[in-house]
Amino acid sequence: MSQSLSPSRSGRTALILQLAVQDLWHDRQVSLCIAAALVAVIAPLLLLFGLKHGVVSQLQRELLDDPRNLEIRMLTSGSYDENWLDEVRALPGVSFAIGQTRSLNTQADLLRDRQHFLNGIELIPSAAGDPLLSNQTDYPQGTGIVLSEPAARRLEVSVGDRLTLAASRRLEGRQERGRLQVEVIGVIAAARFPRPAAFVELPLLIELERFRDGHASSLLGIEHGTQRDDYPVRFARARIFASEGDAVAGIVEALEAQRIETASRLAEIDNVRAINRVLGLIFGVIAITALVGCLASMAGAFMANIDRKRREYAVLRLLGFQRPAVAAFVAAQVGLLTLLGFIIGLGLFALGSAVFNRALATSHMAAGVVSHITPAHALIALALTLGVALLVAIIGVVRAFGIQPAESLREA
Amino acid sequence: MLTLSELRVVRGEGTTGRHEVYLPHLELASGDMLAIVGPSGCGKSTLLEALGLLLQPSALGRYVLGPSATDLAALLQVENESALARIRSRELGFLLQNGGLLPFLNVRDNISLPRRLLGLPASSERVHHACAILGLEPLLDKRPGALSIGERQRTAFVRAMAHEPRLLLADEPTAALDPQAGEVLFGLILSLVQELDMAALVVSHDRTLVNQFGLPRLIATLTSGGSRFEPEP
Repeated sequence: MSQSLSPSRSGRTALILQLAVQDLWHDRQVSLCIAAALVAVIAPLLLLFGLKHGVVSQLQRELLDDPRNLEIRMLTSGSYDENWLDEVRALPGVSFAIGQTRSLNTQADLLRDRQHFLNGIELIPSAAGDPLLSNQTDYPQGTGIVLSEPAARRLEVSVGDRLTLAASRRLEGRQERGRLQVEVIGVIAAARFPRPAAFVELPLLIELERFRDGHASSLLGIEHGTQRDDYPVRFARARIFASEGDAVAGIVEALEAQRIETASRLAEIDNVRAINRVLGLIFGVIAITALVGCLASMAGAFMANIDRKRREYAVLRLLGFQRPAVAAFVAAQVGLLTLLGFIIGLGLFALGSAVFNRALATSHMAAGVVSHITPAHALIALALTLGVALLVAIIGVVRAFGIQPAESLREA
Repeated sequence: MLTLSELRVVRGEGTTGRHEVYLPHLELASGDMLAIVGPSGCGKSTLLEALGLLLQPSALGRYVLGPSATDLAALLQVENESALARIRSRELGFLLQNGGLLPFLNVRDNISLPRRLLGLPASSERVHHACAILGLEPLLDKRPGALSIGERQRTAFVRAMAHEPRLLLADEPTAALDPQAGEVLFGLILSLVQELDMAALVVSHDRTLVNQFGLPRLIATLTSGGSRFEPEP
């Protein structure tokens, strides 16, 4: 037989696809019912997932936005050297660690003028990489200091203003007051640090401690006192930050192994993880139930459809369409209806999500929560939907495979 | 054009249900139209299915269609389904009792489907001619659901001959029609088969119609284990 009588494979595929579409369109009421079964599952699942994702990511954002949630505070004081600090910095998950002097020496007075001063303000050692100052352009260096917003407010100063930092000591029966001109190089929000405080570089804090311990300090303008160059640097405690919420537990454990009592927001972090886990489980169970139901309903609808159209399939076979062509016909119909269902489902999700987000925006309880999915989530949902479609297509194809062309000749 | 010998098809099982259809010999030339007649249940449709390569015969001596030397008996023997489907779509045309039109295609697309399946142009002179003679031209854009039974059967006939098969197999094409419409369709089939140089086998139990057109007949006689088909002497 001449080869020209055989259509190309692509031509035949296009013909099958066209027939599949024409059949779907001819039977559009039934087609819509099948697609609707899919929409009825996809849209609510996407909405539920969008909310879950919105709630959990808001909780996580709250955790991560506030570096204090990553802080591991040491409750007990000790005497630690630089080596110990290096060991702490080497612990897995530690992003920042800096030594602190004894708590009595972490205070000083800040004065602007007679009306504006703060006595006994908290001094916090800081350096490049300090998570609390992560959104600052400059870190404390030399006589440059960063104030917390409550401190700046009470002193009525802003970036660029100059202040006097003062510390008093009693040495050999004499009251002495060391003074240093400092410049405000930054102010951090109260949400970051709610108490009045000044972030200073560690050498300045150590200088203040030595001054209080009776050393002379040219920096503070007091030349009177003992001179001991071999004075070893010892820290009473350290400020330690984890790089992420999940690392906090490990650091706490490592410190407690050294009998160091700590305070952290581990409980809150665990809470968010627990909420995520529980919501994930709830969503998973609902999703599986719905998908199984959807699979059953779609497979049933398709099988009934194939049985109803048995004679048509037999005629297609009689005309010379072979089994793979009939399989492609069924698979194309399942695929098209699935895509239709998915697109409508996605559209309904967008609508429902907009309604949710409007309601959430006016609620104080749920401030910041938005129903939202990422493109990756949409792709995963599409993959799951196509997975369901594949199963339905397999069931349908198995059913359609048994149809013999001779059935078209026999009476119904 | 068509040469066949020693065809046996077994239908049913067991001693009571078993029925063997036996056709010792059949020869058809171009333009021939042969009526297959016999009592109900004698296996007329079974014979048609076997000739249409839809049933696996229990024995078959020789089956050749057209000038090609391809022995269809061998293909049936090894159940080469794809080769049989190719031959079926190219060499055979089926006209079913109920039309067998696809409800989702209009008349034009139903008629062109066998041609498109073979990669032929959607229409041809012969198709136009047949549509004109059968009065289908005003109906081309209608779906089968909107047609009368007679219109459906005429459409089904054009679809069966659209790809210019060698052999037309018709299973009681006029059974659902009133006598007058049946007579018209029968006459049209006969004249087009002769005009287009096809061969046709038509199952019918309408003796008056067969007699009226003076068709040669393949008659079934019931035997002990089944039935035997032989051309009218």
